[in-house]
Amino acid sequence: MLRIITVLTVILYFIISCTAYQQPPLTEQASIEPAQAVALKKEKGAIFVDTMSYLECMDHRIPDSLCIAFEEFEEKSKAILKNKGQHIIFYCESDECLRAGQTYQKAKILGYKNIFILNGGLPAWKKAGYEVESIHRIKRAPVVSIKPHMLERLIKEKKDLFILDARSEDLYRSGHIDGAVNIPLYELSKRLKDIPKNRSVLVIDENGKKSFLVCCWLINNGVKDVIRFYGGMKYKEAKERKKG
Amino acid sequence: MADKNWFASLFILMILFFAGEIFSAEVKINCVDCHTSAKYKGMYKESVHGNIGCKGCHEDIKSLDRHIIKKEKPSLISCGKCHGEIDKAYRNSFHYLYEDFRCYDCHYEIHTLRPEKGQFKITVAKNCTKCHTNEEYALSGHGAAVMKGNKDSATCSDCHGLHDTKAYHTSTERYILEAREFYNRTCKSCHSDREMMIRNGLSPDTVKYYEETYHGKVQDLGYPTSVAGCADCHTTHNILAKRHPDSAINPKNLTKNCEKCHHGIHPRFAEYKAHPDYKDRKRYPLLYVSFLSMVVLLLVTFAFYWTHTLLWWRKVYWEKHKLEQLGIKPESPFAHEENIQEIRRFSIKDRVMHVLLIISFFGLVITGFPIKYHNVPWAKVIIKIMGGAHNAGLYHRLAAIILIGLFLVAIWRSIRFLFPKGFCKKDRKGWLDRLFGPDSLMPNKQDWRQFKAMVMWFFNKGEYPKFDRWTYWEKFDFLAVFWGMFIIGGSGITLWAPEMASYVYPGWVFNIASIFHSEEALLAALFIFTVHFFNTHLIPTKFPMDPIIFTGSYKLEELWRSRTLEYERLVKEKRLDEFKIKHPGLALKIASSTFGYVSLLIGIIFTFIILWTFFFG
Repeated sequence: MLRIITVLTVILYFIISCTAYQQPPLTEQASIEPAQAVALKKEKGAIFVDTMSYLECMDHRIPDSLCIAFEEFEEKSKAILKNKGQHIIFYCESDECLRAGQTYQKAKILGYKNIFILNGGLPAWKKAGYEVESIHRIKRAPVVSIKPHMLERLIKEKKDLFILDARSEDLYRSGHIDGAVNIPLYELSKRLKDIPKNRSVLVIDENGKKSFLVCCWLINNGVKDVIRFYGGMKYKEAKERKKG
Repeated sequence: MADKNWFASLFILMILFFAGEIFSAEVKINCVDCHTSAKYKGMYKESVHGNIGCKGCHEDIKSLDRHIIKKEKPSLISCGKCHGEIDKAYRNSFHYLYEDFRCYDCHYEIHTLRPEKGQFKITVAKNCTKCHTNEEYALSGHGAAVMKGNKDSATCSDCHGLHDTKAYHTSTERYILEAREFYNRTCKSCHSDREMMIRNGLSPDTVKYYEETYHGKVQDLGYPTSVAGCADCHTTHNILAKRHPDSAINPKNLTKNCEKCHHGIHPRFAEYKAHPDYKDRKRYPLLYVSFLSMVVLLLVTFAFYWTHTLLWWRKVYWEKHKLEQLGIKPESPFAHEENIQEIRRFSIKDRVMHVLLIISFFGLVITGFPIKYHNVPWAKVIIKIMGGAHNAGLYHRLAAIILIGLFLVAIWRSIRFLFPKGFCKKDRKGWLDRLFGPDSLMPNKQDWRQFKAMVMWFFNKGEYPKFDRWTYWEKFDFLAVFWGMFIIGGSGITLWAPEMASYVYPGWVFNIASIFHSEEALLAALFIFTVHFFNTHLIPTKFPMDPIIFTGSYKLEELWRSRTLEYERLVKEKRLDEFKIKHPGLALKIASSTFGYVSLLIGIIFTFIILWTFFFG
């Protein structure tokens, strides 16, 4: 009996050991620190790719980066990044951002061989002491913001309110404020004409981190009454969940 | 000819000199000649940067000619050249790292920037709220006071930093630990400033009293996510005076406020005092009386027992010394063979219960005292070893369950002792005799006589008293634990489930429970580690340890010497043979010694730690 228990224990131990062992995630293997990225650029001629929207990329980016939004990578990479052996470093605007990782996965599928992700994104780059460049900087401007509980009041007060949902199409489809118009951030620079300048515009993003820049851009482009939705849809949903 | 040459040279030199002067004068005036707007011409000179001059910042314009024809453009200026410290801090701030804000995004028109002249806090609030619209702050106590010119009240930068706003300042959801630590520290830094608080009509000791509560203690140990910090009750931007109907701490809103963490509470839960002063008799009379009664209990108990212990030790030590000096060995009425006979004193049940009692007691002490003395380094070390305040809390409750179990078993055994045959009327006969009989732990008149005799013996005025099965100090030990269990156990259960307890009694009872639990714990721990340890182990005749509670037996001579009445009684009743057992085995003796010495050592270490913390911590 004791023998059987011992043998079973050993077998169980091996099964657990085998299943517990996992390959480290792909992104971990490919992520590099800013200093390594600089060295890679110097030694191998690596290209930085800003995976954020065109607006954000032109506002500030790692010097000499290419602006290829994650959503446009498949299309743009055919024309811009023809050499599949090219060393490419993807990055986005924060360590929370998934776009660099998502673009990396796309690039991998498309056959790019020497691809990397900048660990920590732009904040890590800046923290390491490296500068950024601004090609068309969006002049920052005072922006009024509202919190979720003020939304109802705002809709009542401003009859002409244009709700601009700058999130991705998928997120918009998964749930949005009634009457909101979806113009994903990566398309925004091309669709200014779709935004009425003479109406109040409420800008909603995913987590409140991009709406400020969008508001500034709208103000710079002549939209007079721009309002930012504090915390984005995530904050609103979290508040609603809390409220039950 | 020479004169002519001299004049010609002088003339050329003068032309060159004036030409240079004219040229340099042109350079100096050129900036405002072209840049003619008011902000460059007049307002700049009056601005904070007015004395630096254009080239102080735009130093990269090397050729005016090229600049005029727009071949040489000024690059972005570096404010950090002069404002080095600010630049250093700002480069790690949230606004730069995540939002890519530059100096001019907040300071706007740098050429017209005026000195603040005492309006700094207002300017900061106005500037920040341009982007961070915050009606709540503007209407709050802090915001309103700032706008009225109060220089103590918190403006945005006082809590969130000015140039050094960190990422965790902005997200209490993502950076839970850092944010809570930071904001608790920030609130406390002002609200513990005695002069500032008195100046503004606020209590200067609020922080001190908060840190004396469970919330404050756990937070101070380094686990702010487990308990309520300042903002959890007072909220963040909309902090209002208690009397304001919208204030989170207004009595009308308080239950809702507490409910954020304590779900399913009765409204009277909110009567809990979040930072009371136990010594304030007028505001908190019940807390004051509770605290005072516990202090008196501690003082009286220790004054009595430490004196008792000291006198006892003196007497025994002096006597032992005398015997050693004269070379006299204590007499024994027994022959060698009879003398080595082991007599059972404690049953297996007694011994197992005591071992479990020791384990649970140490468990409670080790996990509980770091909370009591949260502000000393050893407390943090112990909590860290246990894997944090949450784990320490789990172990504390586990130990409490064992102790409560033992308490219930002890009650059951006491009942069975009184009613061994059953609870019917005829079976209950004789229970009163058993209650005050020699095998009972209930104090009786004999204990009082023995105590008096013992005191006389301390002062060499009489013989060592004859004891039966239980001495008066052993009875006290047992009953003290019983009494203590009601206080410490009752308060512990209340604090364990305050939500449920709120359906039984109001929130201020939790404050009293905290006092009782904490002070009774101190009483219990110090009593066990000093008085009980001395009476049982450290007395010179038993030093360094008496393992009887683990082995369960002692020599016949020891029975005769220390419990003479019991020996005589057993002989008279011809029951002595019932108690004769074999000498304990080697394994039991090793296990007993190891467990006993480790327990003693832990207890003694803790005694020193507690006393050191009490007097110097």
